[in-house]
Amino acid sequence: MLLIAGIIPIADLPLIEGKVEKNGGFLSVNGNDIPPTQGTAAMISAALEVSSFLDIEPPHVVLAGDIGNGKGSRLIYRYLIENLESLSARVLALHYCLPIIQLMKQLVAVVDKCGTRPVLIADAASMYAAKAAGLAGKFDIFTPDASEIAFLADPEAEHPAYISRHLFETDSSRVPELIKKAYANNAAARLLLVKGECDYIALEGNIIASVNEPDIPEIECIGGTGDTITGMLSAFVHAGYPMEQAALISARANRFAGQMAEANPATLVGELIRYLPEVFKDKLDSWVEKT
Amino acid sequence: MYEVFWDKVKNRLNSSGDKLAGDVHGGFEANGIVIFNVLEDAIKAEKIVKGNGLECKLVAPPPALRKGCDLAVAINLVEKPLLERILSDAVPYVHILPLEGSRELLQIVKVQYYEKHIMVKAANMKITYDKQSGRIVNTSGGGCPDIPYLHLQFLGKKLTEVPYPKDISYTLCALMLDRALEECISLWKREEIECCS
Repeated sequence: MLLIAGIIPIADLPLIEGKVEKNGGFLSVNGNDIPPTQGTAAMISAALEVSSFLDIEPPHVVLAGDIGNGKGSRLIYRYLIENLESLSARVLALHYCLPIIQLMKQLVAVVDKCGTRPVLIADAASMYAAKAAGLAGKFDIFTPDASEIAFLADPEAEHPAYISRHLFETDSSRVPELIKKAYANNAAARLLLVKGECDYIALEGNIIASVNEPDIPEIECIGGTGDTITGMLSAFVHAGYPMEQAALISARANRFAGQMAEANPATLVGELIRYLPEVFKDKLDSWVEKT
Repeated sequence: MYEVFWDKVKNRLNSSGDKLAGDVHGGFEANGIVIFNVLEDAIKAEKIVKGNGLECKLVAPPPALRKGCDLAVAINLVEKPLLERILSDAVPYVHILPLEGSRELLQIVKVQYYEKHIMVKAANMKITYDKQSGRIVNTSGGGCPDIPYLHLQFLGKKLTEVPYPKDISYTLCALMLDRALEECISLWKREEIECCS
């Protein structure tokens, strides 16, 4: 099972757990329709496109409404802490939520107790909580963007809002240095997929691949395009692809979807997600052969 | 009188197990701290914060962060904007700071120009608006739970029509979105003046 956990920006959405399906333009979980917008919903949408294309089990999700006060986030943490062992997830991807250090510590302790330890992936504030809790090394995959790799590289920053000025101003060509610093700080997962002008994939401290074509700078403006990469990566890992290959495919697919959608800064993420099946159809076999 | 009061406070700290900020007790682990000049203000603030449903605890501040009094309130730093809002009218405080070090919030922004749009980036948050209309066409980045909500609230609206995130939101990501919005409005107004002069 691929289990994705995160908040949805619907204040009164209760905690829901179940298989995700498409329902017209929406995601549907236990009869709850969720718009596939920026955040965890975009991540799930991209993962669902991968599982549909590969004809494998769709993602299973744990979601709750939260518009910032942390109530839904706490419900998700507690549900996972109490139920993760019995859910038997093969991949657990943690996403948007309020970063709460002690709850993240409890959750990772439960992950360690699972009979078969799930592949553990974090993006968004789940990644911030993992770093703040000193647990980055327990994670298999982080998917930071350029500012978030600066955050991981900064030993004093509790949140990206506190990264040092010189790291924020670091030129994108120096991202490899930040990756090394993040590993040196024990603030990196085993594999990093750093999303940016050039996407870097690093494994256990070493950069093993980079992706910079097609070059579509406008993608940075589009809310949710980092989420789609994390969603695809989670689904490909769940499908059995090696982590490094899954990362490479996901970074490439996002760029090609942007190209097909003729992305501009006003494009919405749903317009890119729509092109993912076409990208997989055109490119996936050749990418798999070459990696 | 003051000694008696302080003894009571120390007893309370001891009975609840609270020690120096940064320690883990009672299931709450803090990474930020609110510093006060006056002891009574710290106690009042703890009640207010808890009354608003947030977790916190009274602690002795680390020596490096001690300003006025020997009592502080340890908090989840990511909730700084909400804490500022609920404390500002109720009780005077000196600072809200990370527990480790005394790092200030990132103040600078980056601006990226596209043919018809401008993107402003503050830390991990980005706002992109249409140069002609001043309408927000996208927000991106971030990871805290108010960000997907603000994304939906902002899309398609004019920069000057949306609320400032710091006035309605809860987290540091929202505060960075606020920084980006301020810069967008400033750029937009400057361009309007240049265009019309």
